[in-house]
Order: sequence, then structure tokens, then C-alpha cells
Amino acid sequence: MRRATTLLAGLLAILPAAAVYQDEVGHIDYHYTLLGVPQRETTFFHRPRRDDRASLLYTLSDEGVLGAVNPGTGAVVWRQQLSRSKNTPNEQEEEEKGQQGFARAGEGENWVVTGYGDTVSAWDAVGGRNKFWTRYAGKIKDLEVMELTEVEGRKDVLVLSEEDSGATVLRRLNGANGKVVWEFRDSGKDVPLQVSTDVAKVFVVSLRGSRGAYNLKVSSLDTLNGKRLDEWIIGTKADVHGKEDVQLVGANSAAPIVAWTDDAHKVLRVNVLGLQTRQEFPLPEGTVGVEVHAPHLVQSQPHFLVHSKTATGHRGEVYHVDLKNGQISKAYDLPLLPGPGAFSTSSNGANVYFTRITQDEAILVSSQSHGVLGRWPLKNEDTKAAAVHAVAEVIKKSGSTDNFAIRAAVVTDADEWTLVQNGNVAWTRPEGLSGGVAAAFAEISESEELARTLEQEAHANPLAAYIHRVQRHIHDLQYLPAYLSAIPARVISSLTGADVVPTAGGKLQRDSFGFHKLIILATKRGMVYGLDSGNFGTAVWNQRAFKIPRGSKWDVKGIHVQEATGETTIVGANNDFVTLKTDTGEIIDAKAPSGEATTQSAALVNTASGQRLLRIDHVGSIGNLPVDQAPKQTVVTQVSDEDLKGVIFVADGDTSYETTAWTFSLPKGQKIANIATRPPHDAVASIGRVLGDRTVKYKYLNPNAIVVAAANAGARTLTVYLLDGVSGQILHSAKYNGVDASKSIECAMAENWFVCTFFGQYSLRENAAQSLRGYQIVVSDLYESDEPNNRGPLGDSANFSSLAPIDNPDGVALPSVVSQSFVLGAPISALEVSQTRQGITSRQVLAYLPDSHGIAGIPRIILEPRRPVGRDPTPGELEEGLVKYFPAVEIDPKSIITHERDVLGIKKIVTAPAVVESTSLVFAYGVDIFGTRVTPSYLFDILGKGFNKASLVGTVLACLVGVLMLAPMVRRKQINLRWSAPM
Amino acid sequence: MSKSPPSPAWAIELSNPPPYKAKQNSFPDPPGFPTSQTSSKKKDSKASQLAQRTPPTQEEMDTLKLKKAWEVALAPIKSLPMTGLMMYMSGNSLQIFSIMMVFMAFKNPIMGILATNQAFEKFESDTNKGKVLQVKVIYVIMQLVALALGVWKVNGMGLLPTTRSDWLAWEAQREAVEHAVVGL
Repeated sequence: MRRATTLLAGLLAILPAAAVYQDEVGHIDYHYTLLGVPQRETTFFHRPRRDDRASLLYTLSDEGVLGAVNPGTGAVVWRQQLSRSKNTPNEQEEEEKGQQGFARAGEGENWVVTGYGDTVSAWDAVGGRNKFWTRYAGKIKDLEVMELTEVEGRKDVLVLSEEDSGATVLRRLNGANGKVVWEFRDSGKDVPLQVSTDVAKVFVVSLRGSRGAYNLKVSSLDTLNGKRLDEWIIGTKADVHGKEDVQLVGANSAAPIVAWTDDAHKVLRVNVLGLQTRQEFPLPEGTVGVEVHAPHLVQSQPHFLVHSKTATGHRGEVYHVDLKNGQISKAYDLPLLPGPGAFSTSSNGANVYFTRITQDEAILVSSQSHGVLGRWPLKNEDTKAAAVHAVAEVIKKSGSTDNFAIRAAVVTDADEWTLVQNGNVAWTRPEGLSGGVAAAFAEISESEELARTLEQEAHANPLAAYIHRVQRHIHDLQYLPAYLSAIPARVISSLTGADVVPTAGGKLQRDSFGFHKLIILATKRGMVYGLDSGNFGTAVWNQRAFKIPRGSKWDVKGIHVQEATGETTIVGANNDFVTLKTDTGEIIDAKAPSGEATTQSAALVNTASGQRLLRIDHVGSIGNLPVDQAPKQTVVTQVSDEDLKGVIFVADGDTSYETTAWTFSLPKGQKIANIATRPPHDAVASIGRVLGDRTVKYKYLNPNAIVVAAANAGARTLTVYLLDGVSGQILHSAKYNGVDASKSIECAMAENWFVCTFFGQYSLRENAAQSLRGYQIVVSDLYESDEPNNRGPLGDSANFSSLAPIDNPDGVALPSVVSQSFVLGAPISALEVSQTRQGITSRQVLAYLPDSHGIAGIPRIILEPRRPVGRDPTPGELEEGLVKYFPAVEIDPKSIITHERDVLGIKKIVTAPAVVESTSLVFAYGVDIFGTRVTPSYLFDILGKGFNKASLVGTVLACLVGVLMLAPMVRRKQINLRWSAPM
Repeated sequence: MSKSPPSPAWAIELSNPPPYKAKQNSFPDPPGFPTSQTSSKKKDSKASQLAQRTPPTQEEMDTLKLKKAWEVALAPIKSLPMTGLMMYMSGNSLQIFSIMMVFMAFKNPIMGILATNQAFEKFESDTNKGKVLQVKVIYVIMQLVALALGVWKVNGMGLLPTTRSDWLAWEAQREAVEHAVVGL
């Protein structure tokens, strides 16, 4: 057996690892090409070709992904990730918080321009290629396309940004090449809000004053040279509460306006840009939110719609602006309708149309009069999702006067993006699956009834239990006909290679291979999804746990699936938690997030009252707990960037008091960059490694070992510590020079080894003239002693204690470490190690390739620290599967488990064992959702899809027919032999 | 009762098959063909030859039997060089040929040892019991030598659990007394 595995290992080293066969694509893996939830201001229909009437749907989502979607099919035409995954997680989070994206397209232009963070980029509208990009100091606050310029046929881009010093900078960029035409700089401390333009002037709107009491300041600039023409403050009272309250609409139109409400949503104040007066309009009673919609074209009539939302309904009011004197007058009202709804503006030449989408119909009105031009009842009975915002395209059918067709892309409150075409749902994109923050695999629970009866039988006396069991089996006979009638379908599907989804009464059931598991995915928008891993990741249920306000995210710190009770608990940072039923998503208990983040992390601990998730606050302390809730283990917590501590609980009466068992402080200058531990399920098939000469190197298997990677940005070093979590003892440490601490440093640990990846640049020790630079991966194996056949100082003892060192001059039994580093062909992130049921299968290090948008599975055999350096392997080493060390590890295209799929923005990968030993289930989330099954040692225990069952059955049948035909012939011949007279 | 009809020809032939008829041609059989000479004659002559020999004495018989017994006792070792050569040639890998050879290398000596008494039964008489016992001992030793060759082969194939790795599966993982969880 062992020999066979070593032979297999040798074989694996020689053969290239083919990760995915062609016939497995779309069979074992699934992928959701997502964009993120579209934003109201950055979603629009646009014609990428001037002379072509076909338009595409563009959006810049809350995930920072710019994408073009085919409105007919809902397929992504192209997409670009603007929120480049930053190097360290903290940096990325900080950036995401204040991040606002802007996307605009010039009418009739073949490009789309975006502003995100500090970068302005223009993209080809048809293919998504980058036209130009520029970066400026400071953050971009607004971006607008200037429709009319002095150059015929060119449209320019206005970019408003705020520098770190507080200065407001407006730049006009040449729309053709991104060169700055002029730059306007205002070093006042005003808060820049927005930029708008009409035919003659450019307006910069900013807030002057202090927080809570702002005034609106408008500067008007010359379009040709950016010189300030005028500057004024609207109103005298400081009546603007914050920048969220101000809306500016109708840029490029004949009369751009700026509108804001008071705190209580009682009055809407509107100013036509260019005038110094404002007009006030009362808002309906009970208004909780206001949106203003206006057209974006110069030739459109200067009309706008005020969409006021109340707690139970929504209504619209249409206003007209008199271009001569700037007077705003109310034209008509759209009645209050119950339930939430969305409005959108479309303009067709001078005509302006408003589309209203309510829960059961889509209504089209013209801005001129309140007469309804079209009314389409929505035909989606299955979902009662409410529209949050929408963009619509209105086409006036030729021939008739009042015959319109609309299509509206609606974002619903279930975070889905649906295209409604004349009332019919054309497609729905599950954009809510993007932005995952935590995920866990859960077993599909056995039917509750069965579990209950089994429990009942266990408690009854044997005779009663037996009778009960027989009765149950007789009762089960009623399912026999259904079972028998399902057999032909099962046989046929197993012949054709299709998967059977085991369902009983619409409920999910486990399959014998263990491929069907539920994936519980929590997203930053407060949604929780249950996906079926065996059925292409289809959402079995979805549930909104919390309403997370726009701009903030649900910061999930821990997710725990309790298999015994069938419940899933998700703990968030803001003292919130939610407990759901794993199989249906029904919320059992929840506590909404509070204002401040109190939780740094959560630890899953064993207590006297079972497993539970424990909150840890920002300084790594937990607080005193009742005795039955106190953890039995040492809890390792992070005190700060430089300190870790181990916490134990000492019981005294009914209370357990928190006590610090140890602290670990890094040397000055070092900061914790990453921490890795062994996964909770980490099966070890063999406690030693058999060498070529049949001796054994014993693995150092310490379940409490923690890998701490600490980077020193100043000295450009990385130190990797191996700590014992019980005693805080440093078991091993290694230092790497020339490490860039600003780039991603990640570690992963499994069994008796760990890997760390980082970017390093250093001169070789042997030859200082030669320097090495690149993304590296360092793998370290831990053994009990240096020599084979030696279990180290602990000898044959059956257990070990980190706190009671053995009688040994060296103290604690330290592992013997073998390390080797490799240079990688590409940066990798989101490291994870594949897991199988018993750990017999060799491992793969799974990692996301942020540059090529794929997930690679690097075999552990390549990342092997014992590979012979500078010589060919001996026959014994070859038998172990060791090949000659070569410093560079190329990411073999065959080892990319996502093959040709473009998987964007993966933040984390989770793995889980299946029932069959060969297979590990993989699920990756981030922007996209990707799931597959990996078989690092090939599919050795079940028949793959390539196995031709039809030809097997056909051969058997052909043999049977042959036998049946030949049997009488042979019999006749034998009788003739016996009976025929000799001639 | 009516007289039963005469049996058909085939039934008569079945119960009394006709004598083998020589083919119609008149060629004589080749010399030495069984039909050409009467076997009884030859048997008679052989018997007469045997009858003419004088029976050997008891000592002569014992010596002869002992000689034969020695031959039987030393037979296993005589085939050893050949077996050894074939084992060497077949290599140490697990193949059907080497597996069969190893199986035979174990089966033959063990069966031989078990059948020691039967092997020497015909050489044993009341008078030479002591001497045959010596031969039997030698025979068993020779079979053990042959068995040792099989063991050597098995060892060469790595099938003997002589190394630490062979007992690794029975060694237990060292359990930690204390446990830690990480909340980071």
C-alpha cells in the first residue's frame, strides 16, 4: 500500500497535473460572472456605436466593477475591475470604505469614462479596452462629461477631486486622449460636492461651513480656460445638513439644478444653477427619502421629477423649469402608490419620459402631462421583490403615435438585477452573490423526522425500539413504488453521465459521494445565501439578515455551522449576530448591528455547554464569563499589530475569570502581516513520511501551532514565527530579507507544513552581484527530529504537553524544520489547502491569481522542501517522488482549476472534504462566485465522466446476444458428434 | 401377447458393437502397430525375463532403499541453483511471474516437510529405521534451505516487515494534552 502510494507519488511528479478535463467543465464546476449591485447614478443604457441603434447596459457597481451587459440576454459583454485588489487586507478595506465610483458616457460617443479612487479611465464601449487612464493626487469627488466643446465632435471630461490638503481641483480632460485641457484650483477648505455644466458654463458645487450646518457654494467657470467667472453662496441660513442630502441632477441639460432637503424631509429646496435664488417646495407628509430625476441632454426639455418615499408608499411630482426666468413650477402629480417603487428618466430628443416601476406594474408617462402612455403589468409572480432603482429605455414605435416599448433594468431589494421588457422579466442576474464576506460549508441535514425517531429508538427499551423500528420500516414501504419508479431514470442518467439531484419532496438530500453540501454565504450587503455545491451552486434559499445602509458593509467576523442542531450562527463586528436554519434560511434569532464596531474577531470554542462563537474585542480581551460558557481551551487573541496573547479562564464560583496565560510581543518595527493555523478538519493519514530506504521521518503534528508572519517595513524583512498556542513558546522562526511589506504576505498551514508567500528582492549570499526579485513561496516541513526513525525527545509517549516540558536539557521538544523557497511566476493570494476526508490524498495549495483572474492548484509535490538541490535525485529519492530542485515554480496552465473562466476579485477560498477520499470541494468568493471539485491525486475512487458506461453495457449485451445465438449451434454440433454414424 | 417385433439394427449394434473392421484396403499394418502383433506374447516374454532374475537379499534391498532415500532427501537442494537463478532473473518487482515463483518457493518446501513420512514410506523397513530417520532429518533441513531461499526472495521484494516504515500504521499520533483556539 505504502509502496503503491510512493509509486503513485512518483508518477504524479513525472506526469503533468491536469486539473480539469474538458468533459468536466460545467459538470463539476460552476461560476457566476458577477458585477456587483449596480448603483443608481452609474447605471445607464448607452449606444456604443453612433450609427447603430443597439444599446448596451453599463454599470459601475458597488464592488468597483465596470461592466457592459447585453440587455437582450443579460450576459456580460465585458467587465473591468477598477477596485484593484490591494495588497494588504487592511489597506483594501480602508480604501473601500470611502470609495465612490463614477461612470458616465457621452451621448453618441464610443467610450465610457470612469472615476474610481484617484484614477480616471476611459474604456472602449464595445470591447472594454482601456483608452486612457490617469491618476491624480487626492480623491475623485465627481466626474461629468462635457457634451458641448469648442471642438466639433469632441466631448471632454470634467473631473472634480479633493486633495489631501483640502484643496478642490477641477480638471478638464481631453476626451480623446486624457490630456488636461485646463485645471482650476481652489485652495479653500470647502468640501467639493459635484460638478455640472450647461451650455455656457461649468459649475462647481461645494459645501462651506462646518459639519451639520453647511451652505451651498457655487462657482461658475469659463468652459474654455477654466477661469473663475463668479462665485456665490445660495441662501443665508446654514440649512444643508450633510453632503448626502444634496442631489445634483441634469448635468449637461439646459437647466441643471441642485436640490437638497432639510433634516426632517419636510421641504425640498431647489436651485437652478446659475441663479442665486432658491425655491422651496413642501414634501408630502411622512417622507423618508427623496430622489430627483432629470434628463441629461441639452436638447431635452428642462423637466424633473421628485420621487418621495414614505414608509408605506411612494409618489412622484413633476416640475418644469422656465428657461427664461428660471422659475420652477409644478406640472402634475403622480399618485401615491403603496409599496416601494422606482422612477427612471429617459429622453428621446426633446421628449422626456418617466418610467415608474411599482410592485405590480410599469407605467410610462411623458413629462408634459400626466396622461399614461403605457402600462404593463409585471408578470413575475414568483418573486415579490421590490424595485430599489431602475434605468429604462423607451422606444417610440414608428407608425403609431402612442405606441411605446420600454425595457427597464431594475435593482430589487433582494440585490438582484432584473430586466423588465414590456412587463415581462427578460432576465435576472443574481448580483447579490457578489461581495461575499464569509462562507462555510454545511452538511445537508438528514430529515428531522428520521433524526427524531432514531433518537426515540435509542432511548426506548430494546423490545419497544425493535417493534417501533419494524413499524417504521413497514411505514417506509409506501415509498417503495416511488423508489422503484425512479430506478429507470437513475439508470439512464448514470448511463448518460448526468447527475441526479437527490430530492425528496423538494428538500435537498445528501448524495453518496458527498458532493451535495450547502454553502452558507454572507455578503457585505447583509444577505445570506444557501447554495447547493452539488447542483452548480444554485441558491436554495436567500435571506436578508440585516438592512445594511449604502456605503457601509456588514463586517462578518465569524460563521459557525452547528451540524447537530442544523443552525448557522454569523457574528458581526458591530455586536450583531444572526442565527438561521441551515436548510431553509429561516431566521431564528438576530440582533441588528450597533453603531460602533466592538468585535475584532470571533473564536469557536468548546465550553461546558457545547461549541459556541466567542467575541473578542479590539484589545484582544473577552471578559469574564459564566462557568458553563467559559472556553476550555486557551484562546489566542490579537492585542495589537505587534502583540498576541493567550487567554485562559479560571473558574471561581459561578464566574470564570479571564487570565492572560502568555503574551507574545514582536520586536520593535515588526507588525503582524498574516496568521495561519491548521484548519479545523485536518485529517492526517500517516504520522510519518517513509523515505526511500524504508526509514521514517516522523511528522511534528502539533494542533496548537500557529504561524505568525511579521513584516518590518523599515528594514524590509519578514520574520515567520511558529508559535505554540498553549504556551506562547516560539517553536521556530525564520527571517527573509528584502521583503516588500506593502505587498500581500500570506501564509497557510496544514498537517505538518506551512507555506508563506511574499514579494522579495535580495542579493544572493554566494554571489552578491546576482540579485533575486519576485513573488516567492516558502514551504517548511516540521518533523519530530532530524534523523529518521527517531521520534525526538518525547520518544514513545502517547501524549505531549506544551506546559510541562520533559526532563530534557533543551526544554520543550522543538520541531526539526526543513525549508525551501521557490520563485513564483505570478503573484498569488487567498491561499488555502485542499482537504480530504482522511488525508490520504496528496494536498494542493489553492491560490487566486489576481493578475490572470484564475485559481491555481499548486501540487504539494512541487512545493517540497526535501527536493535535492544541485544534484539528480537518488533512486531512493525518486521512489519518494522527489525531483531535482528548481527555483522557479511556473504556474502550469494545466494546474489552473478555473481553466478558461475569468474569475474576478476572489477574496477567499474555502475547502471541504467530500465523502469520497479523492475529492475536495472548493468554493471561492469575492466579486465572483466559483466552485469546483479538485482531485489532487486524480479521481481514484469513483468513475469519472469519461468512463463510457454505455459501451460497457453494450459490450455485455453483445456478449449475451452472442452466447444466446451460439449456444444452440454448439449444442447441435455436440449432439451430431455423438450421434452421427461414422462414415 | 403378440410377439415383439425384432429389434432394429441400430439397437442391436448399440448393445453388441461390431468388431473393429480393418479398412477395406489390403495394406498390411506397419511393423509394431498393435494389431500386427499379439500383446500376450510380449507380456509373456517380459514375465519370463523377470522370473529369471534372482531376488536380492535383505541387506542389498536396504542399501538400495537407503541409496534411493538419500536421493530423495537431496533432491530439494539439487534444484536450488536453478530456482535461485530464476528468482534472481525475475527481479524484485511485483509481477505475476515472480509472485508465482515466490508462491512455489514457499509451497514446495512446506508441502515437502508435511509429506516427509509419505516420501520415505517405501524406503522404510523394520531394519533400516534408524538410518532412514537420519535421512529424513537431512531431508527436512534441505527443505528448510529451500524455504530460506524463498524468504530471501521475499525479503528482496520488500515484503518482509523488517523496517520501521512497515509498522508505522500501528504507531499512534501523539495527542496534545492542552488545546488552543485562535481568535484572530
